[in-house]
Amino acid sequence: MEKVVEVNFGPQHPSTHGVLRIKVKLDGEIIVDAQPVIGYLHRNAEKLSEMGLYPKALIYMDRLDYVAALNMELGYILSVEKLMDVETPERAQWIRMMMVELNRIASHLVWLGTHGLDMGMLTPFFYCWRERERVLRIFDEITGSRLLYNYFAIGGVYSDVTPKGLEMIKEFVNTFPDRLEEIQSIFQKSYIYAKRTKGVGKLSLEDAIGYGVTGPLLRASGLKWDLRKNQPYLFYDKVNFEVPVYSNGDVYSRFLVRIEEMRQSVRIVKQVLEKLPDGEFYNKKYAKPMLVRMKGNGESYVPTESPKGEFGVYVIGDGSTIPYRVRIRSPSFANLQAVSIMLKGYKIADLTATVSSIDPVFGEVDR
Amino acid sequence: MNLFFFIMSILYGILKFLHWPLWNWYLYGYPAGLWIMYFVDAVIEVILVFAVAMLVVVILVYVFRKYMADIQNRIGPNRLGPWGSLQLIADVFKLIQKQDIIPKNADRIAFRVAPYIIFTPVILGMLVIPFGNVSILQLMVVNFKYTLLFLVAAMVISPLGEVIGGLSSHNKFALYGALRSAAQDIGYEVPMMISVLSLIILAGSYSINDIVNAQKNIPFVIPEILGFIVFFLAMIAKQSIPPFDLPESGSELVSGFSTEYSGMRYGIIYMGNFGFMALASVVVATLYFGGPVGPFFNSVLWIAIKSAVFMIIFLLSWIALGRVRVDQFLNMGWKYLLPLSILNLVISSLIAIYFGGAF
Repeated sequence: MEKVVEVNFGPQHPSTHGVLRIKVKLDGEIIVDAQPVIGYLHRNAEKLSEMGLYPKALIYMDRLDYVAALNMELGYILSVEKLMDVETPERAQWIRMMMVELNRIASHLVWLGTHGLDMGMLTPFFYCWRERERVLRIFDEITGSRLLYNYFAIGGVYSDVTPKGLEMIKEFVNTFPDRLEEIQSIFQKSYIYAKRTKGVGKLSLEDAIGYGVTGPLLRASGLKWDLRKNQPYLFYDKVNFEVPVYSNGDVYSRFLVRIEEMRQSVRIVKQVLEKLPDGEFYNKKYAKPMLVRMKGNGESYVPTESPKGEFGVYVIGDGSTIPYRVRIRSPSFANLQAVSIMLKGYKIADLTATVSSIDPVFGEVDR
Repeated sequence: MNLFFFIMSILYGILKFLHWPLWNWYLYGYPAGLWIMYFVDAVIEVILVFAVAMLVVVILVYVFRKYMADIQNRIGPNRLGPWGSLQLIADVFKLIQKQDIIPKNADRIAFRVAPYIIFTPVILGMLVIPFGNVSILQLMVVNFKYTLLFLVAAMVISPLGEVIGGLSSHNKFALYGALRSAAQDIGYEVPMMISVLSLIILAGSYSINDIVNAQKNIPFVIPEILGFIVFFLAMIAKQSIPPFDLPESGSELVSGFSTEYSGMRYGIIYMGNFGFMALASVVVATLYFGGPVGPFFNSVLWIAIKSAVFMIIFLLSWIALGRVRVDQFLNMGWKYLLPLSILNLVISSLIAIYFGGAF
């Protein structure tokens, strides 16, 4: 008699975070084997980027990880700037840093809310969304959009930070830590949440490194590896922040890592607000008419720390105005590979907890 | 719903027939018109109880939505009627209009019957609850010697409906929901029965009326605190609301045993769940807090207040808590609830021996 039941989790399932499909083989409630199947949101971002001018590929970067679009833009922009030796004014770099950190907070809030939903907790979701809404309003004020910003430009940013925007950011960073404390306590004071997540979805450090896992997952497995510290870009070497590391490698550690990262992001934003210099917000040499005539030659790759892990765009230029090759290194794609070893031997109920702890965003996995 | 009323009326007719003294039949013969009389009587009473239960469900769903919205920084329904109070009526009409989809390979009869089975205990349970007196009229539909046994027997029907619905849907998620429902059912029902048993020992009677009267001085929650905890957790599990909503478990099993249900069939399951929440809070208020018996006055008002408090507690647990895992729930049921309920049985036996008539 066949004891193993094969169940498809997804691509249409309430808790697969987009269009992930996991082929699960179940023996009763225990997962014997789990294979992620991806590709349901493939939009050809790499090839499309190779078909237009350098600045035009930015909109495809926005649509990779749509909950942290500015982080995606940053990876591409830094790479292209390195390729073309573009100098960026200091103010633009500080603004970029601030915006990226705010977006990291927004992305982690999305994760926290949906993670709560996956554990059966309805209420934290709305609290997280309330806080995220404040971040999105800031973005709306400064960039003009709420989700897909198209804000960073080669040689700067498209628009300066408005005084009202600065006020909003100040108000946000002053009130957010308390509210985060409140949301965190809903999870941490719950005995059920601890029971559900401690020791679940374990990923050892060897496996994590072997699978190329980066970001909060790697730090929850015990390696202190944060590109903002280890290979600083922008001005991350000029601000103080800690890199949270936990060594259990389970869902609970990932939760703690992400919560602490939000705190550190607030810290960074506060320092940026103090240090934000006056000056130009873009390099006048690369103003709009010039932007379309920019040529790249050679190759470049700048790894950045996106909310999900190491994100970078490998750009090859052949001397024309169109990139020859754009290769996207997306963190969720690498992190998602490890899902089958994280799931083996656990229960079905742990599947949702584990998958949501990876925090995959499918725009970025399928590209 | 015709089928539903029909089944309920027959069940209730049998119930009435059973508690009608059988020896009359031997003595005087069975009057020919009596069956019809009983049948009409039963239909009227079932409709009455059904109407009251529905009214409670409507209020409960409205309170649930508004309360949940309030906690979650939302507004909740506010379009239909004053403060959105007609939203549920609109939802019901919407569900009735929907196409009645039955999966191709489903077991059609079982699939159709299952929602009614889930709804059954709401009516059957309400029949035997003493709601107190209004002048000389006692608000209790049926009263016989073994009402508590009947209540417990009625309450264990609903998981059967979940299992039948899940198995007949021909869907893997529904199958898993049904299996979980069965596993969960065994996990909490045995401790629940044992804690009910200790109530029977304490009151010295199987009748809910006697149990209520025995709580004139001290409600049973004080000597029976362990039993109350066990019974309360079992009631949460029975309604399958978070933290014990394993048969449905929205995030893992899509929606468990009710995955394939849509339209009004789903509506009946939904209302059955809320109806059961009302029943569970009434039962807890009756068995452990004296029901209509209370300080200052004995009235239906007391049972309303008490059960409203429990409804709010159930709703809070729904809103605030996450879901436990199946193995964790079974661990809790067998390793903690069962020993606790047995300990409670011993304690209440000792109380019954040494204090006898005090309770």
